[in-house]
Amino acid sequence: MSTEIVSSEKEIQNTDPRIKLIAAKMKKENYKADALIEILHTAQNAYGYLPMNILKFITKELKLPPSRVYSTVSFYHFFSLKSKGEHTCLVCTGTACYVKGALGLLDEIEHKFSLKPGQVSADNKLGVQVARCIGACGLAPAVVLDDEVHGKLTNEMITDSINAKIK
Amino acid sequence: MQNITIYIDDKKLEVESGKTILEVCRNNNIEILTMCHLEGVLDVGACRLCLVEIEGVNKLLSACTTKVAANMVIRTSTERIKRYQRITTELLFAERNHMCSVCVANGKCELQNLGYKVEMDSIRYPRLFPQCEVDTSHSWYVLDHNRCIMCTRCVRVCSEVEGAFNWSVKNRGYQVRIISDFNTPWGESTTCTSCGKCLHACPTGALWPKAIVQGQLDKKPEIIEELMAKRKMGL
Ligand code: SF4
Ligand code: SF4
Ligand code: FES
Ligand code: FES
Repeated sequence: MSTEIVSSEKEIQNTDPRIKLIAAKMKKENYKADALIEILHTAQNAYGYLPMNILKFITKELKLPPSRVYSTVSFYHFFSLKSKGEHTCLVCTGTACYVKGALGLLDEIEHKFSLKPGQVSADNKLGVQVARCIGACGLAPAVVLDDEVHGKLTNEMITDSINAKIK
Repeated sequence: MQNITIYIDDKKLEVESGKTILEVCRNNNIEILTMCHLEGVLDVGACRLCLVEIEGVNKLLSACTTKVAANMVIRTSTERIKRYQRITTELLFAERNHMCSVCVANGKCELQNLGYKVEMDSIRYPRLFPQCEVDTSHSWYVLDHNRCIMCTRCVRVCSEVEGAFNWSVKNRGYQVRIISDFNTPWGESTTCTSCGKCLHACPTGALWPKAIVQGQLDKKPEIIEELMAKRKMGL
């Protein structure tokens, strides 16, 4: 009736490399409806959860009824529709980022903010998550702070960037 | 189709193979209680009211999804089956908030009729009294989750007959709920054509038009079957 279903790849955010990952996965699966679960896995691995605009993007590309996609997502406990924490720090631990020091970043975060992957601070300000390759390997080690991709990070830089967010 | 012999409640019957036990029973005036079955859409075996005993099979099987086989011996109204029907009915009532006296469907409700059928005089299970939403966002229609029994007749009618796919089911267990699109308010659906078929398919007071008041609901689930019959004839 009213609201339009978003949107093409471009309309979402072509600055976000994760969109490309999901688009590539869908293409590889030939936009088959029965590959929905695998595609959702790819999306959740890249985002740490399933943002609504990404769900809408997948729904549109696979030409599925929205209700079916939502139903699938809500059925499996593995999938999550909400990111935890007001701000999220998603550390990529894919191969390139791993080699370039992702674990060091995670140690630093644990040291400075007392948070391990999957945890949220007591005041709900910051949630830390890990992803398996967000499609920005050239920027390794890469971290996504809220929706911004930060690349070539050092331990000092990650602390400063997080502090700038949550202060 | 070849004919086979089966026995239902000690009656010998010659029936076409490929039919479900439910179809055969209905054709032969043998009563089977159903709730999720709706003529015109596919069966899913969700409500478990149509359970029958089959000799040689330990489990009770749902008549709506089990096909007849040669020499099957079927029983439809043993004490065990009656006991299960009563339990199932009570659980349907206990799961959400069914206050018939203030319901739009009062007097015209399939669930209420089922209660009379199984002679339910009390509910032996603690009622869950869940907090349920009432979606009034559609201009003409209402979805009241308090009265939904999750039969999914609306889901199947909307997808199989109307082809709109507005409805589906979210979550699992006692947290299941009917959803529209991305769990969005019905009035904001991008897929609903406002055809109204789901209202007629719904057996309870969960789906109804805003234009009526308490006890005035008039549902016509049979229109779904008529529609599908016409469609098959190419009309
Ligand atoms: S009114 Fe028609 S299109 Fe809309 S939800 Fe009901 S059956 Fe589907
Ligand atoms: S809304 Fe009505 S038709 Fe749909 S599942 Fe609930 S009781 Fe069944
Ligand atoms: S491995 Fe981190 S972006 Fe590819
Ligand atoms: S009518 Fe057979 S399970 Fe509901």
